[in-house]
Amino acid sequence: MQENYLAKWLSGELSEKELAEFKKSEEYASYQKLKEISSTLKSPEFDMDSAFELIKQQHFGQAPKVITLNPFKKFLRVAAVIAIMLAGSYFYLNTLDESVGTSLAERSEVILPDNSEVFLNADSHVSFSKKKWDQERNITLKGEAFFKVAKGKKFTVQTDHGTVAVLGTQFNVENRKGFFEVTCYEGLVSVTFNDQETKLPAGSSFLVIDGKLVKTAEPKDNQPTWMNNESSFESIPLQFVFAELERQFNLRVTTKNINTELLFTGSFNNTDLNMALKSISTPSQIQYKVEGDNVLFYAGNTTP
Amino acid sequence: MSNVCEEQVFSSIFKSNSKTVFNYIYYKFGNAEKANDAVQEAFVKLWENCAKVSPEKAKSYVYTIANNLYLNVIKAEKVRLKYANSVNEQSSNLSPEFLMEEKQYKEKLENALNALPENQRTTFLLNRIDGKKYAEIAEMEGVSVKAIEKRMHLALKSLREQIDGL
Repeated sequence: MQENYLAKWLSGELSEKELAEFKKSEEYASYQKLKEISSTLKSPEFDMDSAFELIKQQHFGQAPKVITLNPFKKFLRVAAVIAIMLAGSYFYLNTLDESVGTSLAERSEVILPDNSEVFLNADSHVSFSKKKWDQERNITLKGEAFFKVAKGKKFTVQTDHGTVAVLGTQFNVENRKGFFEVTCYEGLVSVTFNDQETKLPAGSSFLVIDGKLVKTAEPKDNQPTWMNNESSFESIPLQFVFAELERQFNLRVTTKNINTELLFTGSFNNTDLNMALKSISTPSQIQYKVEGDNVLFYAGNTTP
Repeated sequence: MSNVCEEQVFSSIFKSNSKTVFNYIYYKFGNAEKANDAVQEAFVKLWENCAKVSPEKAKSYVYTIANNLYLNVIKAEKVRLKYANSVNEQSSNLSPEFLMEEKQYKEKLENALNALPENQRTTFLLNRIDGKKYAEIAEMEGVSVKAIEKRMHLALKSLREQIDGL
């Protein structure tokens, strides 16, 4: 007999052979009776009409919650999100400042929205808001730059050392670590350093080294020498000369037995490294040695 | 396309299934009041969700709702089913001895049914009283046809043993 044969027998799924065999068994009569009597069983009365009425009364009055299936709904949702993101990023990007920078041994020129010009020396960076330029001419500087400012409203250069404000002129701002120099070539520049404002007329400089105001000689030219690929120094400690050399030629300077506080007056060429090295070492009476991107300066009477 | 939210469609689903929902719950728990409540609950839920349930799915939807409703509630209660006595008029020309014997047999059967596990009793009665095929019962209970056959086999076996006093 197959598995669950009683169930199969009840549903008439037994084969003739199996049925014959089952009929011969002594319990067949009992099962037959169970089958017959159980089919006369009845479940309790169920009043379908009143049950239906009850549902009808309670709930058919109210309209069923119909959810409209709108195939565009999902699409619209996605589209809305994208639109919001686009609009958001547009406004966000608009408020972002324009920014231009140079890396080591590199120079660049930036034309501002009012046609003012900014020349960036090596390893320098300016940023400004293009959108608000009409309202305030405000530029943030890291490093060194020469400005040719078109006449107009107040033009402000923010640096982490101080603020330089002009109306329309040409000036150079050098803002390096421990070194802040503003040189005015034309017009009048106002420098605010440590909350003190200094008026800088054409042909004068304002120099701060390590937080101390230093007197400087008058600039000889009408633009900074680096605009002509030359770095000039007037009684500047050697460490800042070396720092400039590093920036102009993208190399690393190390020193041995040298007092880097010694003042250096002179200039070096920004394009020819050998010339530049000689320009620095000869007047300072020091030696140098080049190894790849490294330059070692050492005292003349010692060995490297 | 027909929609359960249309009153006509809903009404016809109710007419063809409400009695079975009632019986289904009754066989399980032996409580006519709870079975009536289950019918109400199941069809109200169907009406509320008519937009989400297709007419084809409506049947198994109401069984599922009804089943879930009392899954944990009445399990512990002692089942006392009463099956309407169906001694009909035709049998009036039968001998009193025969009627007596049939009455006694039915009492024994009722007791044996009450002693069955809930799932065997439900399967047996859905088949015997409502004439449901094994495949239909399997769908309602959410198990395989084979499992229903097993329940049926075991139900028949223990009913006979109980009635014959083995």
